[in-house]
Amino acid sequence: MKQLIQSQGFGAIVGVAVMLAVFTVIDFSGWWTVQTVSNVTQFTAILAFVAMGQALVIMTKEIDLSVGSVYGLAGVAFITMEPTLGVPGSLVLALIIAAFAGFLQAVAVVKGQLPSMIVTLGGLFAARGIIYVWTGGSVHNFSPAARSHPLTRLLGGELFGIDAAIFWLVAVGAILSLVLWATPFGNRLLATGGSRESAESRGVRTDRIKIAAFVLCSLLAGFAGILTLCNQPQTHVTLGENMELEAISAAVIGGCLLSGGRGSILGAILGALIVVSFRYELIALGAPSSWYITFVGVVLIVAVIFNQKLARFLGHSV
Amino acid sequence: MTNNNPLIQVKNLDLHFGAFHALKNVSVDFHAGELIGLVGDNGAGKTTLIRVLCGIYTPSSGEVFFDGRKVEKFHPKLAIDQGIETIQQSVGLCDNLSIARNFYLGREPLKRILGIPFLDFGTMREKSSRVIRQFGLRENVSADDEVERLSGGERQSVKIGRAVEFKNRVVIMDEPTNHLSVREREHVNELAVQLKEQGLLVIYITHDIFQVHKLADRIVIMENGEKVADASTDSMTAEELEEVIRQGGRVVEKREAV
Repeated sequence: MKQLIQSQGFGAIVGVAVMLAVFTVIDFSGWWTVQTVSNVTQFTAILAFVAMGQALVIMTKEIDLSVGSVYGLAGVAFITMEPTLGVPGSLVLALIIAAFAGFLQAVAVVKGQLPSMIVTLGGLFAARGIIYVWTGGSVHNFSPAARSHPLTRLLGGELFGIDAAIFWLVAVGAILSLVLWATPFGNRLLATGGSRESAESRGVRTDRIKIAAFVLCSLLAGFAGILTLCNQPQTHVTLGENMELEAISAAVIGGCLLSGGRGSILGAILGALIVVSFRYELIALGAPSSWYITFVGVVLIVAVIFNQKLARFLGHSV
Repeated sequence: MTNNNPLIQVKNLDLHFGAFHALKNVSVDFHAGELIGLVGDNGAGKTTLIRVLCGIYTPSSGEVFFDGRKVEKFHPKLAIDQGIETIQQSVGLCDNLSIARNFYLGREPLKRILGIPFLDFGTMREKSSRVIRQFGLRENVSADDEVERLSGGERQSVKIGRAVEFKNRVVIMDEPTNHLSVREREHVNELAVQLKEQGLLVIYITHDIFQVHKLADRIVIMENGEKVADASTDSMTAEELEEVIRQGGRVVEKREAV
């Protein structure tokens, strides 16, 4: 129990419990339906992929504002290159493009010693611009053959009535948690965010750790874009717009401290669940959709205050 | 205790940061089994010299030899691999990590499960707490506790324990007793002597010539990026060495020793 309370995701667990209790009280019949749970978990899975990557970057005391555009860019590459390369080839190319975007930005941050907020803001605009040029502003679709390709169905279909994205999230989330908690890479990543100077004094190559975190973040965003398009194979130029803000919110709500060194994969997933649930429930309750942004902002601030108080209660510096 | 061949030999070392000449033609030898007091005012160049030895800075010119071999590439990882451990007051521990994780940071022991290498938590916990307890960690502190819970002296114990555990050959202590209580300061100084008695080269950086004179075999004084004195503690008193610092090295020529 003590370990659970001290874990970085504890605040998010409390947040999810409170949220579910409130939604149960105010909208039991609307919230606890198969349709609602299915939709919320599907959207959560997609956002959680982006949030997990964002959490890794935040844990190294950096930030990645480009994830929404990278998500869109990978999706566009996946669909538009499919007629030439086939589904597997375009999937690999989309992931390479995403990883390369992360790598370029990471090198600028680490080797150029530039603030990640500025570099990735540039990345956000640059990738979005490429999407506009690449698609010419038009909508692209998968052919019927590509839609029924086994790989498309493996990534975007259903298993036992549950969206494939959820299985992918469970698998990837478990692997990332294990990597973060139980491998030298995870130990060094947390050390890099906690105190870069101290980590370097122990021989940790913090530059490489940060580059790896950015590349992983972009890969996860790219994979989320591919998962989305396997489920609904149609692109548009706004694919992934504002997603970076939702992903950062999810990671922070999930217990990642922007001061670096603290956070968890489970927290990022639960943070994504909170963000998506609020969006869905507000719409379900008939609130104007524009209120959703306001609510996310309020939840974000409340979560940061709660997480900071919790950290201080546990004796951590924040 | 010392052997004749220097473990670290610095020859004509110069280091420039742009127009600033941080180290000026510094030459000095350090032997295994010696406790050296490296003393000087703020900006004298003592920490800069140490940062070259532990691989953070690459010298502009000059040579460094470790155990007779010329150091060709300077990087903290390479220095650590050679057995050079630096203990600094404010650097070396990540507050967000547990004692065990900090202890093994950069050299984590691994256990393979299904062929995949994972951290060997059992070894990390057991060995780190056993080693650090020898150097004064409280019984009620667990290896799983984050280091931010530790007192200043206990934090130094973790770093010193680490230096011993990894069988280092050189321990550089940079202002190790700053902000410590009197008792903790004595404890850290005892540990420095223990390390020397185990045959390690200990380089102890401080402003306090009187404190280090009691511990050290030899005192090296830096001033404005230059070595201005290198004297055994038998040949010069702390008061005489303090006068060297006060005079900016001008009185050293007549008393230079070793």
